Amino acid sequence: MSDASNKWGGGLNRREFLAASAAAGAMAAGMPSMARAAPKRGGTLRYATRSDGRGLDPHRNFVYYVSHPMALTTMGLVDLGKDMSLQPGVAESWESSADLMKWTFRLRQGAEYHNNRTIDAESVVWNINRIMDPAIGSSFARSAIGDVERAEADGKLLVHFYLKRPSAVMPANLVYYPINLIAPDTPNPDEHPYGCGAFKFKSWKRYAKTELLRFENYFETGEDGKSLPYLDAVDAYPKAEDKVRLTALRAGEVDMIENMSFFDAPDFAENEADKYDIWKSPQVGLAHFNIQAKSGPFAMSGGEDAKLLRQAVVHAIDKEAVHQVVFNGLGEKMNTFYASESPWHLPDVKAGPEYDPEKTRFILRKLNMANMPIAVVSQNAYQYMRNGAEILHAMLLEAGFAATNEVFDNPVLTAKYDKNDYGIDSTASSFRFDPDGHYARWFRSDAPNNLQRTGFANERVDKLVDEAAATTDMNLRKEMYTEVDNIVNDECVFIYHHTVPLTGASVKSLKGYEPQLTGGPNYRGGGVRTAYFDNVV
Amino acid sequence: MLIYTINRILQLIPIVLILSFIVFMMVEALPGDIIDTMGGMEAGSIDATTRAALEKELGLDQPWYVRYGWWLGDIVQGEFGKSLVTRRPVALELIERIPATLYLAAVGIGLSLIIAIPFGTIAAVRRNSITDYSAQVTSLIGISIPEFWFAILSILVFSLYFGVLPSSGYVGPGEDFGLSIWYLILPAVAIGFRQAAYTTRLTRSSMLDEINKDYVVTHRSLGLPEHKVIYKYTLRNALIPTVTIAGLQFANLLGGTVVLETIFAWPGIGLTIYQAIQLRDFPVIQAGILILGFKVVIINLLVDLLYRVLNPRVGIGS
Repeated sequence: MSDASNKWGGGLNRREFLAASAAAGAMAAGMPSMARAAPKRGGTLRYATRSDGRGLDPHRNFVYYVSHPMALTTMGLVDLGKDMSLQPGVAESWESSADLMKWTFRLRQGAEYHNNRTIDAESVVWNINRIMDPAIGSSFARSAIGDVERAEADGKLLVHFYLKRPSAVMPANLVYYPINLIAPDTPNPDEHPYGCGAFKFKSWKRYAKTELLRFENYFETGEDGKSLPYLDAVDAYPKAEDKVRLTALRAGEVDMIENMSFFDAPDFAENEADKYDIWKSPQVGLAHFNIQAKSGPFAMSGGEDAKLLRQAVVHAIDKEAVHQVVFNGLGEKMNTFYASESPWHLPDVKAGPEYDPEKTRFILRKLNMANMPIAVVSQNAYQYMRNGAEILHAMLLEAGFAATNEVFDNPVLTAKYDKNDYGIDSTASSFRFDPDGHYARWFRSDAPNNLQRTGFANERVDKLVDEAAATTDMNLRKEMYTEVDNIVNDECVFIYHHTVPLTGASVKSLKGYEPQLTGGPNYRGGGVRTAYFDNVV
Repeated sequence: MLIYTINRILQLIPIVLILSFIVFMMVEALPGDIIDTMGGMEAGSIDATTRAALEKELGLDQPWYVRYGWWLGDIVQGEFGKSLVTRRPVALELIERIPATLYLAAVGIGLSLIIAIPFGTIAAVRRNSITDYSAQVTSLIGISIPEFWFAILSILVFSLYFGVLPSSGYVGPGEDFGLSIWYLILPAVAIGFRQAAYTTRLTRSSMLDEINKDYVVTHRSLGLPEHKVIYKYTLRNALIPTVTIAGLQFANLLGGTVVLETIFAWPGIGLTIYQAIQLRDFPVIQAGILILGFKVVIINLLVDLLYRVLNPRVGIGS
């Protein structure tokens, strides 16, 4: 493998990178156009989000890059572009050894933390070690760098990562979500984190308001050659209810909202497009149904009958009904992880068993399992998960299962996962910057998510996932993941069903803003970093 | 009065202790644990190493009675511990919320009393008149309309159609008093309207009971002006049930406005405790409920003391 082939984007070579950018450009067609006027500096963006962080320390708490106000303060070695491609962050370049067992990141000179300390290699290593500490780092962050054996500083600007196994996807795992860098001399990151993103922390009243200020020494520059961002400040207001957020926008109390409900979005786009810029992001995540196949009648170890029974479940699922009822016709029905706008979309994946409730009834009769009890569960926090469970419940009843439907909060649901006390879980995964983030987390037989929630196990899949993670050729990787998805769709344990789309909106006076492909507001050369008000004085 | 007050305060000590035990055990009985929630949906399972490290750090490896002892000891010293989620002091988490809740509840109840006492009194004095019927119909409507619906309707009218009041959010009175009132109006009216409906009916019926009593007839026969009979003597006695109910309403509002707090994005303690329950953030739940319980106890004490002011015979011989 040549070093050049895996610079700038986790296995994307230059041609692929350009193709990916073009795809994202095509996707953006129809979006409101960016203003051409020279950006103005100043102003405070009032931004309403769906949720708030659990804490301020970005190592202990995952900072969700789409919905958490604190995400605007974060930065890592690797940044993201509008199309979710990997972009230089604190590291200006990176390269791997030929055997993919060692990655070296070269830091940009002069980049600073929010306390004006220079970002040097030692401080990056301190961050990695702190995240890897089980008593500190969140599980999600630690799992992103689970392949790292150790990190070493080499002078001021080089950081070497030595891996436990070959990985072509290491840079994608070092994106600011979730591997954020904070200043090692931060006195108390739970009270006041000093990150290195475009905005710096000022104050936090949980679930009420987060105040962020422009970081004057941020390394990206704007059209005027001066440091980004253009805005002086961001005041973010978590407003959990979709209606409350939308009302605040319409009442002029905020300038931008992160998301509106699937049922408000079409009307709002039709009736209020003259007053607001409306941002349709095709995929913030993926909704899926997980069959509990660790034990019981659906168990992977249950042989052909168990597989037939799982297929009976899939025959009962009408994805078009889910598309219309749960997502109000927005987004896309899925048989794989990435939506058609993504460079990682796999068009050749074969769908699983088709919708045919008669076949479900036939299989249940054949196995002598008519009216078989099956418990559908979902988490209470997300409406589309609950609604997905409701319609799944109805479809299973119609097809001859004695289905029940229950909604739980996360701790109770987690306890049910641990006890295998459910049949099907209506759930979702957030977007992954590299397919390995999805395939290794869900389908490798030793993956924690898999062990806890589905019990999926397939030797061929294990081999393919590992090989794909150690392959730099994007097309080859796509072929491997296509084969994985074909197996997954045939096994009917993990049932892909729909993208989770996102619709945001902002006032017309906010210029220079477009969200990422996934709706995130914080990316290289765009988003909130380049946003400005054309009416600022 | 002083001895009565001291007696009532001393009676609070066992109540608060029992309350603390019940709160602690109820939180212990919640299914699921904090460690499972720490990673969230993204994290997948918590591995054994992390679980062990976190259990030790959070003291969850100790039996409940040890933790109850630690907790009680800390509470007595005014130390509520740290939130397991945010790692910030619980006191800080709650201190940011309590004023918002108190502010909303106090103004909401104040508003309801301002409406209810005059309306209830006039309705009773002018029984079976248009005024009485209007008061009764209005209070019936107030009782029948759910708070959340009234709140949404208010937002629609005053924020979206007329654009005169903010639809959601909170500004503390200490930050900008004028602006804080602006943000307070809709949620306070949403609370006050419904509470006023109950209190108006209660004041009216209580006044009707009092107005026919002998002492009122006596006052009238002595030639006292009617307004003096009504407002100085009758109303004072009629207010005892009103004060009781207003106290209970106030106590309820301190922990029971989660729906309105959600609609108005009001960062109150009810919503905070609800969210802490979702995350199994035990120290915040325990401290929050204990503080709310303590407030209820204090409000009951104040109501009892107010009885004495309204009617000095209350408590004699106790």
